[in-house]
Amino acid sequence: MRKELPMILTVLSGLVVIFSRYFHYGMQLGLMDTLDKWYLVSSSFAILLGIVNLVKIHWGYIRRRKEGWWNSIVLLLCLFGYGILTVQQTVDGPQAAWIFNNIITPGDSTMFALIAFFIASAAYRAFRVRTKEATVLLVAAVIVLLGKAPIGDALINGWGNVADWILKVPNTGGFRAIIIGAAVGAFATGFRILLGLERAHLGGSGTK
Amino acid sequence: MLLAAEAAKPYLGVFAEGKFAQFVLMLVFAFIVWFMVTRAKAGMKVPEIRKINGLEALDEAIGRATEMGRPVHFTPGLGGVGNPMTFAAFGFLGYVAKLCAKYDTRLIQTNADYVVLAINEEIIRQAYLEAGRPDAFNSDDVQFMSDQQFAYAANVMNMFQKDKPAANIMMGAFWAESLIFAETASFVGAIQIAGTAATAQLPFFITACDYTLIGEEIYAASAYLSKEPVLYGSLVGQDWAKIFVFALILVGTVIANFQAKGNWLTSILKK
Repeated sequence: MRKELPMILTVLSGLVVIFSRYFHYGMQLGLMDTLDKWYLVSSSFAILLGIVNLVKIHWGYIRRRKEGWWNSIVLLLCLFGYGILTVQQTVDGPQAAWIFNNIITPGDSTMFALIAFFIASAAYRAFRVRTKEATVLLVAAVIVLLGKAPIGDALINGWGNVADWILKVPNTGGFRAIIIGAAVGAFATGFRILLGLERAHLGGSGTK
Repeated sequence: MLLAAEAAKPYLGVFAEGKFAQFVLMLVFAFIVWFMVTRAKAGMKVPEIRKINGLEALDEAIGRATEMGRPVHFTPGLGGVGNPMTFAAFGFLGYVAKLCAKYDTRLIQTNADYVVLAINEEIIRQAYLEAGRPDAFNSDDVQFMSDQQFAYAANVMNMFQKDKPAANIMMGAFWAESLIFAETASFVGAIQIAGTAATAQLPFFITACDYTLIGEEIYAASAYLSKEPVLYGSLVGQDWAKIFVFALILVGTVIANFQAKGNWLTSILKK
């Protein structure tokens, strides 16, 4: 019953979604909204699981004096300190908002900015001409790079149009093919779950 | 008022507006997959499916980590349980966890979603149980790091530098953090297998990882890895459904080019 009950719930939820998405009366009943609300409520409880996991792991690091254990103290202090602060004054409160705007947002931006350097190093590896595919990649990248910068059209008139064509025709075509394939794949996965053939989300090797 | 009442009128008295064709297409796809599954169940021959290198390499990656005595890292990305890519990742995780349990290799599994964390912990626990190594399961290695994208990315980067995994497996829904993970893992010398249907992140994975599963390939994983004929059958059905969509696109393209006004296929699909 440990696996059967979740399986039955999964199939029932799937049928409710189909009924409320495609059928007029299903839509009018608003069952999707009800399911969404149930998910929201049950997933809110799962926040506790996240907090318990964080505390358990980092408390263990502190207790065992694992390398960098003082970082775990900072993490736990921030977790509970910010939690208490937002309960006291809501997330829009002066101190809570100040911390968010002046510490968390710049931190996020710093991490995001790192991507520029990672792109450079990944591009260097990818553009080393070793195979036919890498050569095509390099040629396309050079055309698009120069075509999107003013220098492209300054060198050869119409270079920008070639770059736009690469982006709009082969690139968009390829991406759309991937999206269509992925949509069919997602459907087949959903159908396997509805048939009870795929049970990966219930634990173990994942199949019946 | 009258217009609103007209708009809400059900199509054929049953279907929601604009959903009839979608429903029929869903039934067609379901029939194709079901037909192939039934054939496989009856023991009839199911056509071969092509080899997916990224999936074949999973054993190699975990074997390499075992030989080096270093851990394996698995992330399902930032997607929640509502994301089909996360569901696809569950199948991989079960397989990876079972192999890690078998070879006694440490598996570090990081999460950015607390619901996914709970499911992943159960999947890994069950996989260790199935492998006959429940004692080797360490719940501390299934970690929730943060539900904030870049806080999670920073945490994973730190883990890469500290634990130096020999294999990095990334399957699921990824956004801008994809390249941060892939490049940092590359710096520590990890063999990398990635897969996503997020088209914006695929170029990053293809350039930075050793193997990349593109789009639909991630949805084939659990069926492919199970080697069960019935599930293989569903994969063949998936391919036939794709051929059906391709034929539909082809017909639509021909009509769009030769029919000057209106496209009857588009009108049917909008019903």
